[in-house]
Amino acid sequence: MSLNRSTILLADDDPTIADSLAPFLERAGFHVLVVSDGITALDKAQAHHPELIILDVLMPRMDGRETLRRLRKLNIWTPTILLTQVGEASERALALEEGADDYLNKPFDPHELLARIRAVLRRARPGERSLSTAWLLTAGELVLDRRARRATLAGETVELTPKALAVLEYLMTHPDEAISRERLLDVVWGWEYPTGTRTVDTRMAELRRALDDDPSEPRFIETIPSEGYRFIASVHGEG
Amino acid sequence: MRRLSGKWSRYAKLTLPLWVGLILAGLAWFLLPFAPPTLTTIDIGIFGLVLGLSIRNTAVFAFLLGFFITGVILFVRYWDKRRADEAHTLYADFVEDAQQKRRHFLRRLDHEIKNPLTGLRAALVNLREAQAADERSQAGQNADKAVERLTRLLTDLRKLADLDERPIERYAVNVPDLLEDVVDAARAIPAYEGRSISLLIPKIPSPFPMLTGDRDLLVLAVYNLVENALKFTSANDSVEVRAMEDGRAIVIEVADSGAGIAFDDLSKIFDELYRGTNARSTEGSGLGLALVNRIAILHGGGCGVRSSQTEPRGTVFSLRLPRR
Repeated sequence: MSLNRSTILLADDDPTIADSLAPFLERAGFHVLVVSDGITALDKAQAHHPELIILDVLMPRMDGRETLRRLRKLNIWTPTILLTQVGEASERALALEEGADDYLNKPFDPHELLARIRAVLRRARPGERSLSTAWLLTAGELVLDRRARRATLAGETVELTPKALAVLEYLMTHPDEAISRERLLDVVWGWEYPTGTRTVDTRMAELRRALDDDPSEPRFIETIPSEGYRFIASVHGEG
Repeated sequence: MRRLSGKWSRYAKLTLPLWVGLILAGLAWFLLPFAPPTLTTIDIGIFGLVLGLSIRNTAVFAFLLGFFITGVILFVRYWDKRRADEAHTLYADFVEDAQQKRRHFLRRLDHEIKNPLTGLRAALVNLREAQAADERSQAGQNADKAVERLTRLLTDLRKLADLDERPIERYAVNVPDLLEDVVDAARAIPAYEGRSISLLIPKIPSPFPMLTGDRDLLVLAVYNLVENALKFTSANDSVEVRAMEDGRAIVIEVADSGAGIAFDDLSKIFDELYRGTNARSTEGSGLGLALVNRIAILHGGGCGVRSSQTEPRGTVFSLRLPRR
């Protein structure tokens, strides 16, 4: 229950969002600090050491991405969730690049935000860098170079479509976590597809084939019936 | 002195036509806006008249040449201007058309937002003022419905914007497999349970040729067409999804036996937020067909529709996608 006393720094310049989200998160048991621009967020993060930071991308004075970049430069590895804006397709990839632990597309259901907050806090080890901030992820023979957008298995390049690579990236940065198909659709595709779950399953089949991973005896990706997928190999991050 | 002037006059005689030509060409440049195209004819007339006189007289010949050059320049400039005017008219028409489309789009968008927003405000008032628990719960549900509608509109707008920005994937796509996925997904929509949707795939040549493209986007396009077909037809109507190929392109058709689309609506239904006369009361963002069209164009193809409200009745939407 210690999770529920955690302090959250919420940075969003839109009062209709901040004024409604803050009491919602308070009701969920968190202590919430609200700021409305990136520079204040940077100051408060250093002064109050929150357990988690929620950053909107578009903010006056300093945008969410720049704020996150500066935080990481200052060696502050506080888990961060980015609230991305509608219509920017490249933003999702960028959010990962800048070391966000998770991200959520507006408009979202506040309960979804709460679920992400809890998942990120559960995964976080205070003071340590999370896998989301690492450039090179290793799980046994599988190596994912996020900067080069390339995966290798036992030294051999794995041929993957960009979508399948993004799915692998999200799974490897969130190991040991049950990830629903809906969530993969949201973070990788950015907008839900009508045949949503099948779209994910098609890519997952491609990924498994490329990784030579047998679904009945998985080394990497496990299917959780009626829930989604989980990356089961232990992941080590570098750089 | 005399030798000098003699030499000068020889040079002058030789180069005079050039000088006069250049001066008159310069004049023509300034006079062009006022020059009627008939001037060239007059020029040529004078040219012929003076030709005889000019044989022994270099100065006359020089003037004649000058007039001729002026005439040619005026003629060329006139045609250039005319071509530019035509291009400008075309461009102006294009801009006017785009502006009109934009005005229509904004008016329709205003309408699409106004309705759920009005519903949302009413629901919030009820939520504040209603005393009975069931009334409050109903108000909450109504608010949710309005939000859902706005979210759907926003999502579709974002899809359209995204399609302009992000590069599409180009990988081999298995068409029968894709259509099977779409039909299965459509059959699973609770509102259309038990509706007849058949899938027709030719057996020869075998296997069905592959397509190069973005599978997810193609799924979205075909699904939108199938969902539309289900939405605008009744429980007794049937829907057919079929694929064909003619060596160069793959054609995917979604046909329904419904009431058909009014002739006046046919040319406009692919416009963003346009709602046909029989679509006003139907749920949806009004962006579905615009999305389908955009996806077809991104794949180097196009889409079309044929529909009849009299026998033989039905509507057929087709997606034509080049294989390369």
